[in-house]
Amino acid sequence: MPQIQKKILLVDDDRLILMLFNRALIDGGFQCSTAQSVEEAMILLGNDTPDLILSDYQMPGQDGFEFRTRVLNDKRYKNIPFVFLTSYTDRDLIQRGLDMQAVDYIDKETPVPLVVSKLNNILQAIRKEHEKSIYEIRVAAEALNLSSVPANPPVIEGFSLNFLYKSFEDYPGGDFIDFICIDNDFTFAVLGDVMGKKWGAWFFSFNFLSYIRSAIRLCVFDGDLSTASILQKINRVIFMDPVLGDVLSTLSLLMIEHKTGKVHYSGAGDLPLVYYNAHEKTCRRICSSGLLLGVMQDGLYNEEIINLAEGDQMIIVSDGMIDFELNGEKKSDYDLFFNFVMPMLGETNSFDLIKNVTFSADKRKHLVDDCSLIFIEKIKTDK
Amino acid sequence: MIETFTHSNYTVAKLQIKEANLDVAEQFKTEILQLIDKGQNLIIVSFENVAYVDSSFLGALVSVLKYAMSKNGDIAVVQLNKDINNLFNLIRMNKVFKIYNTLPDVFA
Repeated sequence: MPQIQKKILLVDDDRLILMLFNRALIDGGFQCSTAQSVEEAMILLGNDTPDLILSDYQMPGQDGFEFRTRVLNDKRYKNIPFVFLTSYTDRDLIQRGLDMQAVDYIDKETPVPLVVSKLNNILQAIRKEHEKSIYEIRVAAEALNLSSVPANPPVIEGFSLNFLYKSFEDYPGGDFIDFICIDNDFTFAVLGDVMGKKWGAWFFSFNFLSYIRSAIRLCVFDGDLSTASILQKINRVIFMDPVLGDVLSTLSLLMIEHKTGKVHYSGAGDLPLVYYNAHEKTCRRICSSGLLLGVMQDGLYNEEIINLAEGDQMIIVSDGMIDFELNGEKKSDYDLFFNFVMPMLGETNSFDLIKNVTFSADKRKHLVDDCSLIFIEKIKTDK
Repeated sequence: MIETFTHSNYTVAKLQIKEANLDVAEQFKTEILQLIDKGQNLIIVSFENVAYVDSSFLGALVSVLKYAMSKNGDIAVVQLNKDINNLFNLIRMNKVFKIYNTLPDVFA
């Protein structure tokens, strides 16, 4: 599997040492940024978060211990693994460094290949620990039957439904997908994105999903078959919920009428739906108007009705699908995504084409968020 | 994280970061909530230095807006770059926040 280059911040007042280690670390496959003082290092930290900090003990002005204290006191940086670099083998100094939660120390006299191996080992150990924690969360989520995506897409006569889902670094939650079939007449397709997964919001996606599942069913039992009205009801519940009100979520809600081929579409802060018209061989985007769930009491939801004819296709996506990382710069670009998938629509194997391209191993390594996509096609029947 | 100055009734909070993401979202929230609690509840957040905004940060931004509104205040945003402006329009944040191109536009 391709590895993303790990970033090391190297701090030492000795320019020669900086140059030497900088070179060695780059040769060892790391990305390296260098600072000659603590102040300089703090500025670099503000611009970019490294995977590891390698810092000298003794520096004029603020020394390595003061640097470590500043890093520990800043919750943005305190979890970055910190390794002391030293020309001393003074046990007291080493002990003092390790007491400040430094993961290790490296003697400047250590041969360069050994330093590279040692850093690799440290990063690998941290990675393994992280993976273990995520694995445990996944096991717990599975044991509680908390799943944010269905095992398989539903089978509806006359339609082909499918979905793609890839979670960022395999955390459960974040994006969620659901299909709810009501009798044999309607199928609701739900795609949502609980924003801010990485700070723990993923945990809320299960709550959202429960709300949404029950809201849709309750509305349908009450005879409410309007996607806009259902969204507004969900929105009000979330707006008034003291916990969920602070967690933002997008939602695309589609209701497919099996017999007529009509698709009702409403969205809350979601990305435009891509609609392919087979007769005209055209592709266009359909924008919903509603606000993210829980932002305002009135979410201003509208409802678009699209008459799907045979061969017509539509896709809805979460924002991870439009995130790109180029030369270390992140950007979200819907137009780029739209132009990218457009040539693949209208084919007999459109879904597979999109899957192969957007979910290829090469694309996945640049993932910066969950990626989800729902694909709907009205199948051509032989007459 | 933010540099503030006041202009008539408004407090301008200028973000001093390039990437407005998860790492800074919580601190941003704390700093803005402190301003609101001090009674400065008309806040203009300047994105002049910001190149990228992620969803965690947007979450924090909406959260402080809701708090400001509960105190009869408001939060507007200014100086969004093209990508961020597109993102705001795309997910309808432009209906939630007043968006201005430049600071003088706010006070015009």
